[in-house]
Amino acid sequence: MLTVHQLRKKFNSVYAVDGVSFTVSRGEVFGLLGPNGAGKTTTIRTILHIILPDSGTILFDGKPFSKELWNKFGYLPEERGLYRKSRVLDTILYFSSLKGMHWNEVRSKAFLWLDRFGLLNDGHRKIEELSKGNQQKVQLILAFLHSPQLLILDEPFSGLDPLNQQQLKDIILELRTQNIAIIFSTHQMEQVEKLCDTICLINKGREVVKGALADVKRQYGTNTIHIEFEGDASILARHPLVSKADIYQRYAEVELNDITYANEFLHSLPSTLIIKKYEIQEPSLHSIFIQVVGRRTEGLEK
Amino acid sequence: MKLKWLTVAKWEFFEKVRSRAFLLSLVLMPVLVFGIALLPALLTVEEDTSTIVLGVIDQTGRIIDVLQERLNDEYTLKNGNPNYLLRNLITDEPLETLKDKANDLVVQGELEGYFYFPSDLFERGEFEYRSDNVANIRLQERFKRILEKIILEERLQRIGIDTTLYKRIKTKVSVRAMKISEAGEEQESGFYQTFLLAYVGLLMIIFMVLTSGQLLIRSILEEKSNRVVEVLLSSCSAQDLMVGKILGLSGLGLLQMFVYGAFGILIAMKTSTTTFDIGYLLLIVLYAILGYLFYAALLVAAGSPVTTEQEAQQINGYISILIVVPIGFMMLILQKPDSFITTVLSYIPLFTPTVMVLRIAAKMPSIFEIVSTVLILLLSIVGMMWVAGRIFRVAILSYGKRPTFRELILWMRQP
Repeated sequence: MLTVHQLRKKFNSVYAVDGVSFTVSRGEVFGLLGPNGAGKTTTIRTILHIILPDSGTILFDGKPFSKELWNKFGYLPEERGLYRKSRVLDTILYFSSLKGMHWNEVRSKAFLWLDRFGLLNDGHRKIEELSKGNQQKVQLILAFLHSPQLLILDEPFSGLDPLNQQQLKDIILELRTQNIAIIFSTHQMEQVEKLCDTICLINKGREVVKGALADVKRQYGTNTIHIEFEGDASILARHPLVSKADIYQRYAEVELNDITYANEFLHSLPSTLIIKKYEIQEPSLHSIFIQVVGRRTEGLEK
Repeated sequence: MKLKWLTVAKWEFFEKVRSRAFLLSLVLMPVLVFGIALLPALLTVEEDTSTIVLGVIDQTGRIIDVLQERLNDEYTLKNGNPNYLLRNLITDEPLETLKDKANDLVVQGELEGYFYFPSDLFERGEFEYRSDNVANIRLQERFKRILEKIILEERLQRIGIDTTLYKRIKTKVSVRAMKISEAGEEQESGFYQTFLLAYVGLLMIIFMVLTSGQLLIRSILEEKSNRVVEVLLSSCSAQDLMVGKILGLSGLGLLQMFVYGAFGILIAMKTSTTTFDIGYLLLIVLYAILGYLFYAALLVAAGSPVTTEQEAQQINGYISILIVVPIGFMMLILQKPDSFITTVLSYIPLFTPTVMVLRIAAKMPSIFEIVSTVLILLLSIVGMMWVAGRIFRVAILSYGKRPTFRELILWMRQP
C-alpha cells in the first residue's frame, strides 16, 4: 500500500504540489487526475523518488523510500522515448537488469511479453525501425516486465489503436488481480470510469476531489430520478421522501430529500404504478471534472 | 544489491562499441592525425623529378658560375640532370626593367623564381629571392647554405687566408644526445624520439577526452530529449547514472588507447632497436585516465544543463580548446621541463595530465612532483564529480531554457 501524506514541492517559489495526500491499496487502480500543469507529474516523480519533496511523507508498505524500492516500481512516463539506435531485446534487457533482474529471467519473460504484443519477431530490430505504436508497446513491457509492486502509468492509452487499448485494459485488470497497486494518470475520463476504483483530482497543486469513484459520483450527483411509467403517478408528488416532483403524462422528474434512499423509494411505490424505466441521474466524471476544475479556477482567480 | 552503476557502464560501453560511429572513429582518427602530422613532412622530403630553372640577376658578376658549379656538385636528379639550372638574366638594361622582365617570366611559369644578388653582396651578405611561391623552404635553405660558403671563402681570400687551409682546419661537429634516466643508466635518445613519445602521449590524452567526452555529452542530451531519463531515474539514482556513464565511456577511450598503443608498440619494435620504458607508458596511461575523469566531470557539469545539439557543440568546443592548450606550450615544456611556468602549469588540474606527460617524456620529474600532482588531480576529480553530480541530478530533468549561472549555483545548494 502506498501512502502519500501532505506532499509539498516548490519550484521557483511556486508550489507545484501543495499538500496532497492519498493512499493506494494493493489490488486497486487509482486515478490521479487533473488538468495540464496541475502537479500530477511532480507528484508521480516524488513518489518514484526521482525528485525529493520539500515536505511530506511517502510510505510504501509502511516503509520510507530505500534504494531497494526502485526495483518494485514500474513507470510509463507520459512523454515516450527509447534509445532509437538500440535493439528491442537489448533495451528490454538493460532496463530490466536496472530493475535488479537477472539475464536469464529477463529473456524468458521478454519473449512472453513480446509474443503477447505481437512483437515476437521484432526482438532483434532497432527501436527506430518500429512503428510508434509498437515502440510504445515496448515501453509498456519495460514498465511491467519486472513484476512491479507499484505501477505508475501516465496516459498509457494515448497513441494506441482501439484493439491495443482493449488489450492494455485487459492487462491492467489482470495486474490488479495480482495484488499490485496501480496509479493511472490521464485526461481521458471514460477510461477512468471503466478502470479506476479510487480517484484523486488535483488542480494547481491542491487536491480537489478525492475518494472512491462511486462516492465521488454520489457526492456530485443531483438528487434527481427520472421515471417513465404507466398509470396514476399522483402518489409521487405526495411521497414523504420526495422534495419536488415534475409529473408529465408518462414521464416524471423527481427530486428526493436524500438520494441514498433511492432504493427504498422505488420499493415503496404502489403496484398500480407500472415503472418502465427508473434512472438515478448520475453525473459523468467528465462533467464533474469540468464543473470542479472550472469552479476552482474561477474561485482562485477571484 | 546489484551495482547499478555497473549495469549503466556496461550498457554505455557495449552499445557504443558496437556502433558504426565508434568503429569509424577508431579507424579515421589515426589516419587523420598521422595524415596531418606526417603528410607535409613526406611531401617536402620527396625529391624533385625535373630540373628547376631559376633566374639570376647577379650584379657582382662573380657568383652565378660558382653557384652553378656547387649546385651541380651537390644536387643532381636521379637521371643525372642537374637539379637546379640557373639562367643569367643580366643585360644592359636598368635594374627595374630586369626585375620586371624576371617577374613576367616567373608569372608565365618559365622560371620557378629568381635571385637578385646586389653588387655589395660580399660586404653586406644580403640577397633577394623572388617567386610566386616563397614557401619552398628547402630550396631557400639550400641556396642560403651554399651562398654562405661562397661569401665566407671570398671574405677569407680578401683578408689573405688560404681557402684550402681553412677547409683543413674546419671540423665537423655532430652531437650524440644521451638521456640519463633516474636509474643512472644512459640511453641514447635523440630529440626526435623524445618528441615522438611526448607527442603520442599527449595525443592519447586528447583523444580520450575528445572522443569519450563527446559521446558522454551526446548520451546525456539523447536521454534528456527522448525522456528515457525519467525511466532510468525511477530505477537508479542520478549518481549511479552519472558514474556509470562516465566509467562506461572511459572504457571506450581506454579501448581506443589500447588499440593504438598496441599498434604503436608493434611498429616501434619493428622499426627501432630502442625499447620503450614500460614505466613511462603506465604513467602516461595513469595521467590519461585521471585527465579523462576530470574532464568528464567538467563536461557533465557544463553539458547536462544543455538542451540542444548546437549548445552541446559549443560546450564541446570550449572544452576541446582547454585540453589542446598545452600543445601551444609543448616546445617550452620539452626544452625547459623544470621551468617555473612548467611547474605552475603542472599543478593546474586542467593542464596537469597533458603537461605531466610532456615532462615525463622530456625529463622524468621527481617522485614528489608525480605524487603531488596525482594527488591534486585526484582531489580535483572528487570535487568536480561532486559539483557535476549536484548539477546533473537537477539539470537532467529540466527541459526548458538553459539555466543561468545563478540557477546552477542554486541547484548545487539544493539538499
